[in-house]
Amino acid sequence: MMRAGPSQEEIRKHNLGTLLRHVHLGGPTSRAELTSLMGLNRSTIMALTADLTAAGLVREELPKDTGRAGRPSLVVRPETARVYVLAFEVGVDRLAAARIGLGGVILDRREAARAREPFDMAQVVGTLAGFARQMRRKTREDTICVGAAAAVSGVVRASDGVVRIGPNIGAFEVPLGEELTKRLALGLPVAMGNEANLGALAEHTRGIGAGCRDLIYLHGDVGIGGGIIVNGQLLGGYGGYGGEVGHMMVNPDGRPCACGSRGCLEAEVGEPALMEHAGRYGEMIGRDAVRAVVDAADRGDVMAQEALAHVGNWLGLGVASLVNIFNPEMVVFGGILREIYLGSAAQVRSRIATGTLRATREQVRLRTSALGDDATLMGAAELAFAQVLADPLEALSRVAP
Amino acid sequence: MSQGPILELRGINKSFGPVQVLHDVAFSAYPGEVTALVGDNGAGKSTLVKCIGGIHPIDSGEYFFDGERVHVSGPRDAAALGVEIVYQDLALCDNLDIVQNMFLGRERRSGLVLDEDTMEEMAAKTLAGLSVRTVKSLRQHVSSLSGGQRQTVAIAKAVLWNSKVVILDEPTAALGVAQTAQVLELVRRLADRGLAVVLISHNMNDVFAVSDRIAALYLGRMAAEVKASEVTHAQIVELITSGRSGELGLKNGNGAAS
Ligand SMILES: Nc1ncnc2c1ncn2[C@@H]1O[C@H](COP(=O)(O)OP(=O)(O)O)[C@@H](O)[C@H]1O
Ligand SMILES: [Mg+2]
Ligand SMILES: [Zn+2]
Repeated sequence: MMRAGPSQEEIRKHNLGTLLRHVHLGGPTSRAELTSLMGLNRSTIMALTADLTAAGLVREELPKDTGRAGRPSLVVRPETARVYVLAFEVGVDRLAAARIGLGGVILDRREAARAREPFDMAQVVGTLAGFARQMRRKTREDTICVGAAAAVSGVVRASDGVVRIGPNIGAFEVPLGEELTKRLALGLPVAMGNEANLGALAEHTRGIGAGCRDLIYLHGDVGIGGGIIVNGQLLGGYGGYGGEVGHMMVNPDGRPCACGSRGCLEAEVGEPALMEHAGRYGEMIGRDAVRAVVDAADRGDVMAQEALAHVGNWLGLGVASLVNIFNPEMVVFGGILREIYLGSAAQVRSRIATGTLRATREQVRLRTSALGDDATLMGAAELAFAQVLADPLEALSRVAP
Repeated sequence: MSQGPILELRGINKSFGPVQVLHDVAFSAYPGEVTALVGDNGAGKSTLVKCIGGIHPIDSGEYFFDGERVHVSGPRDAAALGVEIVYQDLALCDNLDIVQNMFLGRERRSGLVLDEDTMEEMAAKTLAGLSVRTVKSLRQHVSSLSGGQRQTVAIAKAVLWNSKVVILDEPTAALGVAQTAQVLELVRRLADRGLAVVLISHNMNDVFAVSDRIAALYLGRMAAEVKASEVTHAQIVELITSGRSGELGLKNGNGAAS
């Protein structure tokens, strides 16, 4: 039997979402540009814009300064101040929350240090819900929250938000998504994702990798997470747990890993390894600790230099395998890996040069994160915006005040 | 990436009195790429850059820009081509503010006189376009800036004037780690926007972090110009210290041209 084509309603829904996505990612865009970007005629663009304007998702304005004669095309801009999502992060050393407006603008943010202790659900949920309450209290009457999502340092089941294992936050089989959803009581589920997967999403949509089809994002916290974008899509795997490159074995007889295995990439390259090689284990933790080693190396501390070279060697080995397997266009180093890459790039690239096929490596660009400390929160925001971008009017009708 | 070089030098010779500093040097820079220029102290890196910038006249050799043979006989000629050089000893005026520095010596050729507001807006846009967020006020004197911020202003000036080639002579030498990271990312961003960038640095991590190509000078001779993805740290160190590494480099150890 022949399948019926998409209905008018489905086409409209798709076009509304596409238009909204354009202004969400590209910022203010003229009607004329939208017409050519979407390959639709002017009157269709006008009708779509009118629908989104009526829903309060976009606004049309005369451009500030065209510098050209003739009637200027109206500019469609996202209602950044009005339409927002809540983005959360459960990292090893921090709990963070942000209110992020349509268009990807951080409107407000809160952050608290997290102690490196076993996962404490009440404390995590309490802190994040408190941040959400504070931020929401400060918003104007007519603002609207269209989604919420959290980036977690751990392996997360997308369907129900259970953190299956987060070795570095001491979490095992914890129903974080459900608890957060309950406590926030937004009338919306809180979507959950792995922090590196969401970092990859953020760098891919509005960071250093915008426009890249195939990208690998490596996120260093204490351990190392990975997000792999293949042909524009995040690689999920069967259960959504794909991309755990931190537990790719690079050294079979290597250091024990928090996951129970040995010689994983994160065991050889993560913060504890670096600190131990530098003879500074226990002195400091977190980003400051890594920065201190890179700084010492720069000032001529030989032990710090050797520690970085050592770690860079394993990092290069891991990246080389990823380059051979995925042939990415770009590899992005985020979190503490930004500092580690910049401080050991000679080792990293030497390993890639000798450990990959020329065909797989010749186009790969190695870059540091453009979004920096915000990458994971921005990624959570993208996840939270997913519904409204997929079906703007329907998503809005569900959350309308 | 596979375009030809925007800047290409061939057979450059340069002497200071009886001392020949550059011998038959070839060098190219490509749009969208960072080319690292490396070599020991005294290898001739700064001299080569000053020849490119028209500060030193070359004794002989050919200078091509965008495929055309050109004659650069002074800094103005280089600037007119779109070659901007950020020298080791930075050419910023301490007693002027950021905006004034960015427009210094660059009265618009169009004859348009720019008012202060327009200049400030253009400077702000340029810095924002480079994701520079570290400078608080554009009206602060350059003397109050840190080393990294000064580099940033000098680089932004190059972007503002639509340079096609930006050459940085040891931009991170005097900087701490955090500022070095920012300058390196700025260097990379510049190239990603399509400019040809030449980076002189002694720090091999800096070189490998951002370069697409590496050109190694040895005793005034170009030992090798290689793709950064095809070489190791050890090979570059060998090229720098002995002019050759395996198949790469000068064919005879004393540095004579092959
Ligand atoms: N203006 C000059 N007059 C005479 N000799 C010079 C001059 N500039 C550089 N040199 C000499 O040229 C050689 C190369 O110097 P330079 O280009 O500064 O090297 P690098 O930048 O690679 O350290 C050195 O031997 C230096 O002493
Ligand atoms: Mg020099
Ligand atoms: Zn592991």
